[in-house]
Amino acid sequence: MSRTTLFRSLVVFAIVGFAFDALVLGYGESPAKIVGLLFEGTWGSAYGLGQVLFKATPLLFAGVAIRIALRGGLFNIGAEGQIAVASLAAGVVGTHLGGVPSFVALPIVVCVASAGGALTAAVPAVLKSRFGVHEVISSIMMNRIVDAGLGLVLASGVALAGTVRTADVAESARLSRIGDLVPAFRGSALSTAFFLAVAAAVLFARASEGTRIGREIGLVGTAPEACRRAGIDVKGRLMQAFVASGAVCGLASLATVLGYKGYFEQGLGAGAGFIGLAVALMGKNSPFGMLAAAILFGTLQQGGLAINAYVPKELMDIMVGVTICAVTGAEALALYGSNTAKRSVAT
Amino acid sequence: MGSALRLNHVSKRYGDCISVRDASFEAVPGRIHAVCGENGAGKSTLLKMAAGLVVPDSGSVQIDGIELSPHSPGAAIHRGVGMVVQHFSLIGALTVLENVVLGSEPVGMLGRLQLGAARERVKAIAGELGVTLPLDSPADELGVGDKQRLEIVRCLYRDAKMLILDEPTAVLTPDEARALYAMLRKLADAGTTVVVVTHKLDEVRAYCDEATVMRKGEVIFSRVLVEGERESIIQEITKSVMGDHAATSPASRSERGSSRPSLAVRDLRVGRGLAGVSFEVAVGEVVGIAGVEGNGQRELVDTLAGLQAPDGGRISLEGIEREEARLRELVAVVFEDRQREGLVLGASIENNVLLGDLSTFSRWGWLDTKRMHLEATARVASVGAPQRLSEDVRSLSGGNQQKVVVARALAHVRAGAKVLVLSHPTRGVDLGARAAIWELIREAKRDIGVVVVSSDLDELKALSDRLLVMSRGAVVATFPPSASDEELGRAMLGVGGAE
Repeated sequence: MSRTTLFRSLVVFAIVGFAFDALVLGYGESPAKIVGLLFEGTWGSAYGLGQVLFKATPLLFAGVAIRIALRGGLFNIGAEGQIAVASLAAGVVGTHLGGVPSFVALPIVVCVASAGGALTAAVPAVLKSRFGVHEVISSIMMNRIVDAGLGLVLASGVALAGTVRTADVAESARLSRIGDLVPAFRGSALSTAFFLAVAAAVLFARASEGTRIGREIGLVGTAPEACRRAGIDVKGRLMQAFVASGAVCGLASLATVLGYKGYFEQGLGAGAGFIGLAVALMGKNSPFGMLAAAILFGTLQQGGLAINAYVPKELMDIMVGVTICAVTGAEALALYGSNTAKRSVAT
Repeated sequence: MGSALRLNHVSKRYGDCISVRDASFEAVPGRIHAVCGENGAGKSTLLKMAAGLVVPDSGSVQIDGIELSPHSPGAAIHRGVGMVVQHFSLIGALTVLENVVLGSEPVGMLGRLQLGAARERVKAIAGELGVTLPLDSPADELGVGDKQRLEIVRCLYRDAKMLILDEPTAVLTPDEARALYAMLRKLADAGTTVVVVTHKLDEVRAYCDEATVMRKGEVIFSRVLVEGERESIIQEITKSVMGDHAATSPASRSERGSSRPSLAVRDLRVGRGLAGVSFEVAVGEVVGIAGVEGNGQRELVDTLAGLQAPDGGRISLEGIEREEARLRELVAVVFEDRQREGLVLGASIENNVLLGDLSTFSRWGWLDTKRMHLEATARVASVGAPQRLSEDVRSLSGGNQQKVVVARALAHVRAGAKVLVLSHPTRGVDLGARAAIWELIREAKRDIGVVVVSSDLDELKALSDRLLVMSRGAVVATFPPSASDEELGRAMLGVGGAE
């Protein structure tokens, strides 16, 4: 660990710790007790660990997806909407796969989910490459459109009467729970989707350098003008990066719709798209970095439930925000420090 | 009365790149002072310091003998410095009048905008200059010339006693340029200090009273253009702008061009840039294109590269007329700006030397990295650049970076390109690399025609079999490489020339 990394970690730890203590004390509880509960409820048991990994799964998918766009210099803030569309699509198609064997049904729902995400992402991607519309604006707007549109679709007969949920997904189209294989995890929602997410992160890292499209997306994201002049289809590569980002976002629904609930309901999996941004920013281009970040935020989310009896679980939402601010702030600080150091040497 | 501007030993660096080095400069009221030099010579940075837009790392800016402090645009405006930048700083949706008063709005009670008095003053200022502006139209609807006049009126509205214009005629037609200088002359006669950044030497000769030449961030000299000595001073400026880079190896023009045509350009027209360019290049021949920058060279290179659709004219390769799309494969190009147009800074040397060529290594979308590595090694070796393939291309010196760019173009030649076009192939490159790149160009011409665009006359003379001079988007003269700098300089400025 270099000195700047150490310095950075200490700053982050100090800020996060201080904020946590201050908040807990503000509620008149002892920080030590709450930390104990937090640990017990997450890493303290196989069940807690399973829940942490379950919560980390969509975050990892979203983080990898957002990173794909980021390599091309694009900011996919539309992950929320892409995940929602994919979840609905997987939920609806899944209900019609009764009697289809698993090895056929599973690939179908996985493809449908990623196609849902990809199609949603295609809207800002086309707007960007054809008309130069900034992808941040159009994808934020897509999030709103999807949010409202989803309610409309559910209300127009897709949901079971009187509810905001779809019918059950066929058994053969669901992902198996780890609890069914390893008894210790019984009760937790951890499913094979977690391993698919890890595989996606590893595949992303391999494909970034090992495929033509992956490499060109990274180059285009760094220096579009040089790439254009070297004959690379810059607009095409950017569009592909954004649509691929949407497709991977769609896979986040595997953990929630197919591995956990077994149906889609409004709001299921919401928020993963935003925390996914933090996962992508903190994890950089490393699959292990992103896995670590996803598990960290998964822990904080699950921890909220463990301490809910003493302090509100929203406290952990605040901690998620504080952590993101602290990490990015410390990074900027280290960057600033190294720049000023360089400048003072130069002059 | 205008105010005198004085820059004392100012320097500015951006990262590792020195933009202005220990430059001193002085402009006096009542005169039009030109600052000339190539792109990247530091002209704009120097004058942005005067306008408070750039803070110098060292040195000081004085206006009427008093230091500019704090060093900010607001303070500079307050002291009477007005700057018209290359890309206008107008707000398109606001009206002309609103743009003029922007930042110094006349307000009454409770901050209500009072445009009435402002309107009269703006009319008076415009009237004095002899221009009419539609005060109530959105600025967006103005033509370029009017936008520029609006910027100038805005400076005067703020009581500018000194006017700095950055490349004011880059976007103007010759008639508009003439009108602009007439206006500037009026202002100068009324006592305003006028400073014009330009690389068009014919404007300097026709309209300016004093000139300062910059090269590589340094002020080379300043001269008063005394009547009678005007021509000789302009010659001196021409020479020093072009640079007197020491020629390293004597031209070894072994084989002259054959009669096989490589490239033929007929009456090529592109927007404002190219006004009917025609020339031919034979296999085995290097054709050099000289000219003051901004006379269509850039548009010519982009059009030959297939990046810019021509408005008219034909481009033929080996006798066959080619469309834009095919030019991309059939013309190997080294672009002018190595750092922005040639390289992906931050990516590895391997990625850079293979940039745009990944399709040849791709199977089912996955790259054959072993074969890529071999090809990259071979390409880097062919130009004698260091074999540190996985390192960031930024770790190379400018000369070696340029070799990487040249290696890519030469690989395209081997892969079947019909002509090699190089723009400023050795700009900012050390002497060793310069000689090496020249040698590579001479080798390449054995099987292909070569076009070299450069503002460095020594380079053009050393490489070319024939020299064309471009001016205002057309080829105005042809010379043998033995032509003298004076002959070439005159042709560049549009004063006659041999055919």
